[in-house]
Amino acid sequence: MKYIKAQDYAYIMNKYHDLSQPYDNMKRFIRHDAIFAKESGMAPEEILRGIYENDKKYEHLPHPIRKARALEFVLKNTRISTDERDIFPAINMVDRPLEETLLRDWRHEIFDDVIPEVEARRKQLERDGIVTIWPDYDHSTPVWERVFSLGMRGILEESERIRRKKARNAEEDAFFEGIRITYEAVLSFFERLHEMATMPKMKTALAHIRDGAPTTFYEALLLDYLYFMISEHIDRLQVRSLSNFDRIFYPFYKGDLARGISEEELREELAYFFLQFTAIDNYFNQPVFLGGENADGTTVTNELSYLFLEVYDEMGILNPKIQIKVCKSTPKPFLMKALDMIRRGHSSIVFVGDSTIRKSLIRSGVSEEDARDCNVTGCYEYSPQGAYNVGMNYLNLIKPLEYALHRGCDGVTGVFSGVKSPDLSSYTNFDLLYEEYKKQLLAVIRTTVEVVNSFEGYLGEVSPLSLLSATFPACLENARDAASGGAKYNNSIMLFGFIADAVDSLLMIRKYVYEKGELTLAQLVQMLGRDFEGDERMRRKLYLDREKFGNNMERPDNLALDIVAFIRESLQDVPNARGGFWEFGFHVARMSYVQGKLTLATPNGRHFGEELSKNFSASMGQNREGATAAILSTTKVDASSFGSDCALDLGLLPSAVSGEDGLESMYGLLMTFVSRGGHALHINVFDAQTLREAQAHPEKYTDLQIRVCGWNVLWNNINKEEQEGFIRQAESLS
Amino acid sequence: MTGNIFEIKRFAVHDGDGIRTTVFFKGCPLRCVWCHNPEGLSAKGQLAYYAHKCIGCMECASICENGAHPLVGGVHTFEYTLCQGCGKCADVCLGEALTFYGKTITVGDLLPMLLADREFYENSGGGITLSGGECLLQADFCAELLSALKAEGIHTAVDTCGDVPKEAFDKVIPFTDVFLYDLKAYKEETHIRATGRTNLRILENLRYLQTRGKKVEIRIPYVPQYNAQEMDDLARALAPMSHIYAVRILPYHAYAKSKYQALHMEDTMPEHIPTDDEMNAVRLRFQEISRLKCL
Repeated sequence: MKYIKAQDYAYIMNKYHDLSQPYDNMKRFIRHDAIFAKESGMAPEEILRGIYENDKKYEHLPHPIRKARALEFVLKNTRISTDERDIFPAINMVDRPLEETLLRDWRHEIFDDVIPEVEARRKQLERDGIVTIWPDYDHSTPVWERVFSLGMRGILEESERIRRKKARNAEEDAFFEGIRITYEAVLSFFERLHEMATMPKMKTALAHIRDGAPTTFYEALLLDYLYFMISEHIDRLQVRSLSNFDRIFYPFYKGDLARGISEEELREELAYFFLQFTAIDNYFNQPVFLGGENADGTTVTNELSYLFLEVYDEMGILNPKIQIKVCKSTPKPFLMKALDMIRRGHSSIVFVGDSTIRKSLIRSGVSEEDARDCNVTGCYEYSPQGAYNVGMNYLNLIKPLEYALHRGCDGVTGVFSGVKSPDLSSYTNFDLLYEEYKKQLLAVIRTTVEVVNSFEGYLGEVSPLSLLSATFPACLENARDAASGGAKYNNSIMLFGFIADAVDSLLMIRKYVYEKGELTLAQLVQMLGRDFEGDERMRRKLYLDREKFGNNMERPDNLALDIVAFIRESLQDVPNARGGFWEFGFHVARMSYVQGKLTLATPNGRHFGEELSKNFSASMGQNREGATAAILSTTKVDASSFGSDCALDLGLLPSAVSGEDGLESMYGLLMTFVSRGGHALHINVFDAQTLREAQAHPEKYTDLQIRVCGWNVLWNNINKEEQEGFIRQAESLS
Repeated sequence: MTGNIFEIKRFAVHDGDGIRTTVFFKGCPLRCVWCHNPEGLSAKGQLAYYAHKCIGCMECASICENGAHPLVGGVHTFEYTLCQGCGKCADVCLGEALTFYGKTITVGDLLPMLLADREFYENSGGGITLSGGECLLQADFCAELLSALKAEGIHTAVDTCGDVPKEAFDKVIPFTDVFLYDLKAYKEETHIRATGRTNLRILENLRYLQTRGKKVEIRIPYVPQYNAQEMDDLARALAPMSHIYAVRILPYHAYAKSKYQALHMEDTMPEHIPTDDEMNAVRLRFQEISRLKCL
């Protein structure tokens, strides 16, 4: 691999997982203990036992302090190593040890003992496939600017200064004490690594970031990496962006060049940095983003942005994953480079429309400055610096129709799960049914709000976020943890899935039952219950009907807009339990597969259990009018009128993007998407024949990657049913 | 006035600059042995039957007035000779096995479809391309359509084989930004062997476009068995033509074989398919001789 020596590559790739053993990358945990010298610290099981042992001394203290003490214990005792084959140290993360001990206990205490009925309801909703709510909110991005300009020591000093400004009550004091212990533990840990390091470069860098802010490109990379490791793997809070890389790292890059360090050396450092995340291999990938606009309207894109893509490209890796904030000022050659990478199989790049994000944030009350500097976090979510806008609540938009057609019962289990709906015979026209659908949908939205609001207030108790909160100026000023509403923005987000299936299904009912009268509603519901057994003819009619969302057609697109408007009204000014409000977006992650399994056959001809539509894209195999129509349909929705994702998954045939013409055309698609106010666009370039071939001969396609709703995976790592979904998408292109 | 078309292709990226929508017109004067749009040759509507997709639903039989879809031994069969070309069966086919090529359409109906992707044209320097078949066999309709497109400020391209009367060109020249001009062979005898017709008028019309100051991109299908030996001659002939801004040499491919079968047409396609290396060498040499930009 370019930039990385063969023996170094082998070392780093085995640093986090033992590649000779199978491992599950759906679990982010790093289990590998073999590379560490025994005398460098305690064995993983000793760490887990030791956390409890150590906690006995602090049992009477508030959670922020107990958690900080546990973190301190791990950082003091976990095994570490440094190696001449790598410029980043190795740390044994012991399976997210705080999560495995105190945090899990506290969650059980609160969810099972304090609010058991809420937890029971949450679990029921998940089993029903209607709403999947993850109580462990953990998407976060620190205010990187402060991390790099102040260093961990600077942040600690600032926190202590603010702490002393006035008299503090017990809760406030616990907040600051949690930060103090955490940050001192981190600094001691840097010292521990410093003492162990033999490579002079690493040794000096560790001393610098122990004593203050990073001074070089490498030191900044090292700090980024260590913050990530400590937060994600010990503190158990995901770091969902390694920063706006070309903005944050540019001064370090320029500084190094001015000092006479060669660009080649910086490329190498970056390559070793990237390879850490390739080797960690989280299945949802590690995000980092590029681009955006400066305060004076100039582009953030600079030499470092190009260098970043070049190194990434030359390495041929897919993790970390990259988002690019596209603005009017973003240079065309930069986007062309990214598009060219995508058509050569780097589906790990996603484009995010900057003006749409900004409009959305400003609409929700964020200042222009905060909106401009906002982070892209996770797959393509966005949030202002210093915000703790979270929410992993996935709501199934097709289920409410199932409820409306089954008098409030789940169509699969027959259990009463929605609100009461009348007999089918009372839906004498389509509007009556549609109103009932909305009634069921509203009930689900309200239930979700109720359940989430009932436990959100406890998040700070379950897992206080000292490491993160100290980087948020508002938390320090408010003397309040980010998880407890101390951040500048504290919104909760409801993510809706399968809007295309909902739209198509409603429209097919309207068309075939109420307009053409080809079958009665009762007949249709029976067909769905039988999963179309014996009704293949009708199923095909419904499936092949071309009047579907995602093809720039008036009726389906308008229905989608109407559902979006209904959701917007339903969530207008609804407060959450952390001092913020509810926002929403359209993002399905793996729910199209997970909830699809639990969703009855649908009136758009989809079979029971089959995958549902992704993000704000057409139903599986239904984008028959091609890329331009798909973009027109999705961008009819004003993505700035709500607070979160509105992503389009676009499939393109290799033949459509070949040559100079092809690249220009990709650029034309992207710029039209962005100028029409699109939020996020990700592109897969594939053809059905290749995918079929890859399915039959996985051994020949070990490096074929595709992007699944926000993260990229190797083709061979998704299951057969998910593969079928992509093949159907590809087939509809040709 | 109505036009007779067989396909509207959106997001067409290899039919001129940028993102384009291409309208394919039915009917062609040439019969190139390698034609990859055989459904465009006849001016009449044609039904194609892709047998491997048939699910035996027999919806077609229920709607066909001519008994062209009999069940033979329990299997659906399509009787090409009985088909009158109404195309109704293709609309109801549940296996997407039947496709009807041929549609009569007015400019008024066509325009909204072509303008739907306007923003994409603007963002990519694209527009509309008329192709075929041979679109200029319907020159009056093309002129009406192109003039409407120009009134909307849309970039227009006409992809032609050139074997039409000069008057046909006169009709569309005022509304056409570029011509994509196909040349199949240089020597007349080769041209007759490959297409069934002489190329005298084609070369004459090409020179005519020069006198009218129209921009032209030449498109040459590279079919080794037919025109490999005369690429140099062609390059020398084109070299002095100042209105040519590019020459696109397209590798012959055999993707259309299934279409011939489905249309029940005799497959005349050659076997040899040039490799990428072969194509690169051909382009390079053509560029050296003609001093024209070769794509």
